[in-house]
Parts: sequence; structure tokens; C-alpha cells
Amino acid sequence: MRVDLEDLLFSRGPFSLRGSGTFEEGVHLVSGPVGSGKSTLALLLAELLRPGSGAVRRHDVSSALLLLQFPEHQITCPTVAEEIGSWGLAPEDVLAQADLLRRGDDDPFHLSRGELKRLVLACTLMRNPDLLMLDEPFSSLDCTAKRTACRMIEERDEGITIIFSHERAVLPRVDTLWEMEAGTLTACGSVPCAIPRWRHAPPYLRYALDEGACPENIRLADAREALCRIRG
Amino acid sequence: MIRITDLRHRLLNIPDLRVDSRHIAVIGPNGSGKTTLLTVCAGIEEPSAGMVRLLGRPPSAVKVGWVGEFPDRTLLFSRVYDEIASTPRFRYRPCRETDERVRAAAGTVGIPHLLDAKVSALSGGEKALVALAAACAGDPEVLVLDEADSHLDGATAERVGRVVQEATAAHVLWCTQSMDTAARADYLLFMEGGVVRHHGTPKEVFARLEETCFYPTMWRVRR
Repeated sequence: MRVDLEDLLFSRGPFSLRGSGTFEEGVHLVSGPVGSGKSTLALLLAELLRPGSGAVRRHDVSSALLLLQFPEHQITCPTVAEEIGSWGLAPEDVLAQADLLRRGDDDPFHLSRGELKRLVLACTLMRNPDLLMLDEPFSSLDCTAKRTACRMIEERDEGITIIFSHERAVLPRVDTLWEMEAGTLTACGSVPCAIPRWRHAPPYLRYALDEGACPENIRLADAREALCRIRG
Repeated sequence: MIRITDLRHRLLNIPDLRVDSRHIAVIGPNGSGKTTLLTVCAGIEEPSAGMVRLLGRPPSAVKVGWVGEFPDRTLLFSRVYDEIASTPRFRYRPCRETDERVRAAAGTVGIPHLLDAKVSALSGGEKALVALAAACAGDPEVLVLDEADSHLDGATAERVGRVVQEATAAHVLWCTQSMDTAARADYLLFMEGGVVRHHGTPKEVFARLEETCFYPTMWRVRR
């Protein structure tokens, strides 16, 4: 299973996005500043936008899902339970997973933003598609919910997971790092070798690297563990 | 001074709170009442019971700049320039002054290149910056930001932090899920279940949250 980007080019007004590379099975993190093209790349990978030239080619991918950056854009039903049903999932399972018990009869728009994000995120993850694309899955979540989301992402034992995020505190264990800058996608490579050249590393990871530590992965726990090893 | 007395509104229950600091961060789990508190302080909602005073006045009598958590919901106009200009225009400011304010606010926030852009073509983070510029264009006495940083990358969030720091507002009331950002505030309110569970300087409040994930990552690695 893999997704190839073949000389992808997409333009809109003065903005153009370029990218080549292969997304293999595992967890990929695409980081980049505001407006650099992360969401556009997500839409291209999800085949919701058509590239001007080049192609997105999926190999042995039988199902794909995109979590949109703004969860309210994903809502189609008047109650939380019906919304979950529209994903083909059992409401009670998702409500428990999203920590929204007894909210099944509520209007999704009466949930707080974080609650709405938890709902849509749980639906997307529990569908467990071959190709899972998550556009800013951690925005608006509190740290407890971010940890739950990370655990669910890490527990996916097969398939391709691509996370588009600028999260700086709670991150999952990842396999590959990518950077988006001014519309250009660059592969940093596999973790841990890619970590020192990852320009968008969060402050705690940057701190650990500057101290001379070699974190095994990108989580806060990895940075602390690496610091312990050199500090003794 | 922000003063809250006997406030009861939706899940909020705040008997007595006085804060004199300038940069106030509100933190806490999802659904703890942070946004509700900010809406009441901004005068967007009238509390069911109790009193809120900003600078000794009710919020409706204070110039408040508001940056909401759903940028799509607060943006009214289709062109970035018109969105930022709406703040002075709604106050019937003359055209020349409006133009100066728009350009100054766009410059401060770092988006002069977006003035002619269509709002619909902006990224989520850029929309948050436009909402911030629109709020700043009114020279607010109190600036209220509801998780405005949740759509921003690190560098842009830093820039927003600087803009907020340099704003002339007497108070900046900011809710955030970034504990590293909150650690730089003058005063912290930690909310849980509609109640202000802890308040004080970042040092005082985080000392009580050390066993939780509501603790700055930089404080953890530096220990």
C-alpha cells in the first residue's frame, strides 16, 4: 500500500503547490506555516481537488478518509447520534470513545468546538480507512483529548496515516517527517534521522537537540528520555 | 481591573473574582466554560445573573476587540480589506482614517499582502490573522481572543503574541490550549466545570497542575 505524488502541481491565483514523493504505510507528519499549502495538499491527496499537472496515484488503497480542519464543515445531520450513524458507525461506541456519553440527542452545533472535534475525529479514526488524512486533528482539543487522539493514531497498526499539523506540545509517535513551505513539499525522511533537520520541531524538541540529546521520536516523552540519557 | 461578582450564566459559577493584570490567560479542559466566560466579558452575552465590570464599566460600554474561535463565523465581508475596515466603518470613522487604520492593523499583524485577497481563498490560519487585524483596527480597550492560536503555526503564533503584547489595550483576555503560551501571561485562570479552580501567576497555577498535562512542555524539559 502506498500513495505516490508524481510532479504534482496545483495553482490558484498567485499560490502554487508543488510536491513529489511517496507516502508508505505508517504515520507521516506534514508541518508548515499558516498558508503554506498543508490543507490544499490534504485536499489533493483526498482527490477533492484536481491538480493542474502531475498526479496522485494510490496503490492498493481500498478506502480513504479526510478529517477536515474545521469540524463543522463535516457535519451533515441534526443530532450527534444521527451524525455518527451517517458514518456507518454505532453511536454508543463513538460516544464512549469521544467522551460524549449522553450527548447523542444533542444538535452537533451545540457541542463546544473541542467536543465537536472529538466527535469527528473519533468517527474518522474508528472507520479505520487504509489512507487516513488528518488536517489539524489537534487544534481546539485540550491536552487530555490530544493524548487520546495520539493513542488512537499510534494504535493503527496498518495503513497510511498523514497528519497535517502545527501542534507544538502533544504529538504522536511518527515514522516520517515532511515540511511544507511556500507551497513546496519537502521530505525530511524517516525518524529518528530526520529529527535534527526538521525545521518545524516544537520548542521542547529543539531544546533537547540544542542540549545535544538524540530523541528517538518527536514526543515530549522522547525528548525527556533523551535528555535523561545525556544528563544521567 | 476586571471584576466579576456572583456570576451565574449557563455552566459558569463565579462568586467573586478581581484581576488587575494586563495579560490574562484562561486555560482548562474542553467544555469547562472558557468561551462562555470570554463571551460574557466581551459583552456578547448578558449574564443570567451577577455582574461583570471591565475598567469599572459594563462590557457594553467598553471598546472590546473580539477574535473568535470559529474564524468563518465572525468574518462578514468577502474581501480582506473590507473585513478589517468594517471595524472603523461601523463606527462611522472618515474614509482616510479608515484606510490608515486598515493598513496599520494589517502591517502590525503581518498581512499587508493579503489586503486584496478574497476571504474565501485564505487558509484557516490566515483567517484568524484577518480577524485579529479587524479587532486591532478598532483600538480596543480590552482585547479578547478565544483560542485564536489553535489554527496558527509556531512562528505565526509568536507574531500574534507580540501583536497582543504591543497592543494598547488595557487588558488582553486570551484563552489557549498552549500551556507554553499561557506561561508567558501575567495572570492565569484555570477553569473546570464552570468554576475558576485555580488563579494566580503562571508559577502559582502551574505548581498545582504539575501532575497533569496542563503544564508547559518547556518547563518539563528544562527541569
